Amino acid sequence: MTTLTFPLSRIEGHAQVEIDIQRGKVVSTRFKATELRGFNVFVQGVPAEQMPVIVPRICGVCSTAHHVTAVKTLEDAYGVTPPPLASRIRSLLLLGQLLQNQATSLFIFTMPDRVDVDSVFEMDEDVIDPTMRFEISRHALKVRELGTDLITLAGGQFIHPVRAVVGGVNAGIPAERVQTMLQRLEEGLPLACDLFDAYWELTNRMKDRIGSWGDDQPAYYITSTDRVRPDFNTHEIRVMAPSGECCEIFSPREFKDVLELKEREYSYAAETSYKGGVIRANSLARANMTAHMGTKVANGYLHRLRIEYGTPAHPIMLFDLGRGIELVYAIERAIQMLQQPLEGEDTDVPYTPRDGEGYGLVEAPRGPLIHHYVIERGKIASAEFVIPTVHNMRAIERALKVAAERYVHADEVDLELERAVGRVVRAFDPCIACATH
Amino acid sequence: MTEERPSTHASAQIPRFAVLQLSGCAGCEVSLLNAHEWVDRFELTYMPLVSSAYAVPEVDILLISGGVRTDEDLFHLKHAVKKAKRVVAVGTCAISGGVANLGNRDEVRQLFLHQEERLHVPRLLPKSRPVDDFVPIDLYLPGCPPTPELFMAALLDPKNYQASLTVCQECGRKKLKDMKPDHLVGFQKGNVDPEICLVNQGYLCIGTSTRGGCRAPCTRAGHPCVGCRGPSNALIEKDSKAWLETIQKVFHTMTNVPDDELREALLSPQLALFLFQFSDYAGEDKAPRSKDKVL
Repeated sequence: MTTLTFPLSRIEGHAQVEIDIQRGKVVSTRFKATELRGFNVFVQGVPAEQMPVIVPRICGVCSTAHHVTAVKTLEDAYGVTPPPLASRIRSLLLLGQLLQNQATSLFIFTMPDRVDVDSVFEMDEDVIDPTMRFEISRHALKVRELGTDLITLAGGQFIHPVRAVVGGVNAGIPAERVQTMLQRLEEGLPLACDLFDAYWELTNRMKDRIGSWGDDQPAYYITSTDRVRPDFNTHEIRVMAPSGECCEIFSPREFKDVLELKEREYSYAAETSYKGGVIRANSLARANMTAHMGTKVANGYLHRLRIEYGTPAHPIMLFDLGRGIELVYAIERAIQMLQQPLEGEDTDVPYTPRDGEGYGLVEAPRGPLIHHYVIERGKIASAEFVIPTVHNMRAIERALKVAAERYVHADEVDLELERAVGRVVRAFDPCIACATH
Repeated sequence: MTEERPSTHASAQIPRFAVLQLSGCAGCEVSLLNAHEWVDRFELTYMPLVSSAYAVPEVDILLISGGVRTDEDLFHLKHAVKKAKRVVAVGTCAISGGVANLGNRDEVRQLFLHQEERLHVPRLLPKSRPVDDFVPIDLYLPGCPPTPELFMAALLDPKNYQASLTVCQECGRKKLKDMKPDHLVGFQKGNVDPEICLVNQGYLCIGTSTRGGCRAPCTRAGHPCVGCRGPSNALIEKDSKAWLETIQKVFHTMTNVPDDELREALLSPQLALFLFQFSDYAGEDKAPRSKDKVL
């Protein structure tokens, strides 16, 4: 038996793919997370109130999702409900994260694959089709910076936010700062749409060239976003069966009864399944499980996706397009939210810390994120982090198998396999720092 | 020697840099992406987060983020520094372990040993280590993460970069003589007064002795400084005891918080974030890092 090993780049964190081949047949595919920091272990003994500032350090890409989830977990344990203004500011913070993440995944991680270059910085002068010349790197960095600036506005610090506190937020957002951000988002919207149009076009061209990305088969889908329109500051999780029917609705405290969570010996990341079946989380799950986007331009894109691919849709390349739709949505929705005042109301409610157990949930860009803490004498006795990427582990390996079987032949291995491995993994936009925490 | 052609010569003028990410959160890389003025002035030759390149080539500047946690981290680190003219340790994890120091407590390390059951993954080292335990460093850029402005300074002209001495000087909140809290309030609370110094409001803010340069985003947003940039130049060549004493003096002057309460808040080994401040700038058995090497 031969094992092919592929190092991975343009994803968050350290991981590699291994493909076992015997006599021209693919025996197995493994997606291995090769790092571990151990947050679930080393937060033991930490004062519970510090969690919202410690856990963003699990991941500098998904820090906002961890920050908000930590606060919600403590609020669940203490029995606190934040006032409406605090919830609005937290939602805005999560939109900033969505904007930043989807822009990064689209333009920095996956767009270079479409024109077969190593990085976005090689895309400005060297695009295959001269009619599509664009200053991709500058524009892409500008769009993703809007996300960072929205996080800074709503979250205080630019990478590891500090604004959400147990009971609410520590302050509102002054009107003059809101105005500046509004103006920049309005300028950024057409820029993001232009980039996404180019991305969609390049994606179609690559589809014409290579056909499928790797796995077009149905799976279970999981999300916590609202069934009518997107929402990221969420409270319950839904599972959709391969047939398209909703088959499960559960609260974060029930996750162990609903999902099977399993450690794997060849990776520092675990995996989940639903009734033994493969689950998919992230943008395609949301596109399949939300009626519409609730904003004009993003809705137009979603409509186009549904006309071209139906609903529910299953080809994994649609994860990438789904992210673009959400990028546009995040800008439009942030513009709507910034038009409402974000100060002048109660920012928080009083509370008394108490020992016990809490669960928190948000829809992170990669899917539902759950934190679970047990608090004893004011300190964390145990902590669990159920990471969206972990839901996708089996889906990634299944898609890798489909791709490998296509490019591994009895007498040779097609070198396209290396590119296919990158495309498959990046479609799921895994976050390894989070998955291993 | 043959004469270089002008085009080759022109590209040789652009400094090349690489980014090696060890065990960390990628927050430093995200911050670097926000500092995009470098796009026109530098050639980025290696940064797995954004580019498909699998080995560090010869570079002028190597930025290293993250701590040394696995044998693979150590391998990459030792290979990469040989290729670089100037090596910069970026972020708290690379410089002192940062939040990962929490995992170096003995009771936690025991739990880490369970990971030995796993197969074919990089082995964990007994402790997470800062990069200068293994390789020489030319410049330290502390922060969790460093701001885009600091990244640009580190790349362009670290010697002439001028920043305020402390976070306190950059914060702009008003210090009041007659507002002395009797006790510390919680670490993170709502309803923060937007104008008044956080110490006056009873927060354990250590911006008075934390290195400036970040422009105080946390304290301006109403969150106490947790010291992620480490000690200011006045304290950086002394041991962490001197830093603690300075903070205690500030609280003696500005508050009526009893000594015991303050000591417990500052010294509790469980006070995770404040490990940033114990970060071994004056190392366990190593000489302190020279302030000339810290940006």
